[in-house]
Amino acid sequence: MIALPRFRNLPVTVRVPLITAALMIVLALVASQSVLGALGRVQDARLSETARLHVEGLAVALGPSVLRQDVWEVYDILDRARQANDGQRLLLTVVADERGRVLAATDPRRAPVGEDAAEFGLGAVAPEAVRMTGDPELRVTSPLQYQGRTIGGIVTELDVTDLLAERRQVTLWLLFGNALATGVLAFGGWLAVARILRPVGALVQAMDASDGAPRPIPTTEIPHGDPGLARLIETYNQMTTAVEERAEAERRLADRERFVSLGRLSSALAHEVNNPLGGLLNAADTISTYADRPDVVRQSAELMQRGLGHLRDVTRAMLDQNRLDRAGQPLRPEDFEDLRLLFEPEAHSRNLALEWEVEAGAEALASQPAAPVRQVALNLLLNAGAAAGKGGEVGLKVSNGGERLSIAVSNTGNAMGEADLRRLLASGPLPPGGGVGLRLVHDIVSGLGGTLHHDRADGRTVIRVDLPATGAGHA
Amino acid sequence: MLTRRSAILAGGAFCAAPMVHAQGDAPFRFALTPVFLDNDAAVISALRTALGEAMGREIELVQRRTYQEISGALLDGSVDAAWTCGYPYLQHRDQLSLLGVPVWRGAPLYQSYLIVAADDAATSLADLRGGAHAFSDPDSNSGYLVTASDLARIGATPEEFFSRSIFTYGHRNVVRAVAGGLTRSGSVDGYVWEVLNSVEPGLTARTRVISRSEDLGFPPFVARNDRMEEAGIMSCRTALQGLDKADEGKEVLRLLFLDAVVPADPALFDGIAARMAALPGG
Repeated sequence: MIALPRFRNLPVTVRVPLITAALMIVLALVASQSVLGALGRVQDARLSETARLHVEGLAVALGPSVLRQDVWEVYDILDRARQANDGQRLLLTVVADERGRVLAATDPRRAPVGEDAAEFGLGAVAPEAVRMTGDPELRVTSPLQYQGRTIGGIVTELDVTDLLAERRQVTLWLLFGNALATGVLAFGGWLAVARILRPVGALVQAMDASDGAPRPIPTTEIPHGDPGLARLIETYNQMTTAVEERAEAERRLADRERFVSLGRLSSALAHEVNNPLGGLLNAADTISTYADRPDVVRQSAELMQRGLGHLRDVTRAMLDQNRLDRAGQPLRPEDFEDLRLLFEPEAHSRNLALEWEVEAGAEALASQPAAPVRQVALNLLLNAGAAAGKGGEVGLKVSNGGERLSIAVSNTGNAMGEADLRRLLASGPLPPGGGVGLRLVHDIVSGLGGTLHHDRADGRTVIRVDLPATGAGHA
Repeated sequence: MLTRRSAILAGGAFCAAPMVHAQGDAPFRFALTPVFLDNDAAVISALRTALGEAMGREIELVQRRTYQEISGALLDGSVDAAWTCGYPYLQHRDQLSLLGVPVWRGAPLYQSYLIVAADDAATSLADLRGGAHAFSDPDSNSGYLVTASDLARIGATPEEFFSRSIFTYGHRNVVRAVAGGLTRSGSVDGYVWEVLNSVEPGLTARTRVISRSEDLGFPPFVARNDRMEEAGIMSCRTALQGLDKADEGKEVLRLLFLDAVVPADPALFDGIAARMAALPGG
């Protein structure tokens, strides 16, 4: 139970050869068993055949001599048969007469003529039934038939030491050969699998790259010989490109969002520029008409001064919103004045009541970067303005407490939809449709290490951003 | 003698010439007993060649299991001549005549050996009582008569003296029986044992000679009395006695470890006759 998870934890390049080796061992065991079984059957058959031929041959030759009780003839036949056999297999052959007395034996000293032959028949079997038992000496017995009657018997002691040795040797060779073959094949399997899985390893490494960004695998490392794997890696490469492209698109989108938010303010801002222009033109006309009246000229010039001053403030706020070189600068109270300047025309055009409250001091604000916080606040204000509708209320409250800066944007419009809340609060994939403004708020706040909170009570929706006071330039 | 033999030979040849032609398909039948080294194909082949060359006709070597069969075949004419033992010769001495006797180690004599297994403690015939004994042939002098007559002299018979006596019908077989332990002792032709000691020392080394008989007449070549004047028989006698003069004959003698074949007097076998007389009813 403990070894199993460990085995599962092993790399696939180790596991597969191990499984191959295990299967090889099982196969080797089965094959060895089969070979030994076959060898055993062959040996038994050979032994049985040898015994049968020996006994049958002797029975034919011995018949008349046994019938005559001719000791010499029986001995002579046995002795010559033994010499012809070279004494390798047949250790002792005893021929008994009808009464079970030894008539002659290949070794008369072991089986003297006239002795009881019964002891030589102990444990003896018929030639066709003889089997290897592990005993180096086996006994075979057969009745001696001549002219249709039994005239005696033959007992033969077979030496099967060589067969046992052969079996032992085959077993050893099988063991050795199979161990060697298993080792070689397991090693070969290891090499082959490691080679086959090398692209997979490269794929895993590429996906697990330390910087967290999946990197594509070079074309040279794609195994074109394996269409499946090649397609897998090509698909992966396409995915990495897609991920990069998406990240790039999101980055561009975030940049554009600043222009987008200004775009959303453009009509209101156009009014803001156009209204003073009318006054300025009137003042210029008055000056040209009453050039000789210093009090009128002075009054008109003051009017023009105020109008141009307003225009200057508006354009500066717009420029500040878009100036990239301000990135990294600390947040100041003036940033919220700019936001108010930018948002007020929108509020007026929608006939919104605006509650603007910046409690936090310059010191607390300075711990935050200006650009991202302005972007977050503007996006939230624009959304709040859109949500509040005609005659609604929109509020901004900037406060600091403890170690954080809180920016709360509220509106009296309808509650936020499920999709908008997910855009704002969750980091999962973007739901289809809708803008990216809220998600941008979420991403920026996450990047600053802050948190977003949504509350809906008494017909007001409050979105609060809590930013930790970790110091400027965090983002 | 020489002149006479030449004349006889010439006459024989003269007379035999048409016979040889007529008997072209009837080879001279020469019998051997298994008592000798008949299992050596080289000896048999050489003997056939030597006799055939010397006699100028085809030789058929006839082998029988026992002396009795050889004697029977000789007497009924189914073989022309035979190399047999002194004992069967004497048994039928009124019907058989000598063609010659082999000379072994300088004399036409040999001995009977009493052998036991190499590790047997027996030193004499008396020690062998109650054991199994191997004879070669009941009609063999060295392989039966000598021991049987020795036993008769002490008032015993093989049947009662030995627990069991078997006939192996071959001197070499007697040595095998004793060497293999089938019998405790055996009676064997001394000439055969000595030859075996040269050609199969491994076999004789497993046996030990515990007693040797007196010198006795060597197994002779014989033919029927009434056929002694036949050209074939005379040619055979000449061929046998001339073996040591021809190359083929010398080869046979070399293979048989013999020196020559010489004419012999029946008195050579008096020793065997004396032993025959010692047997009960002899």
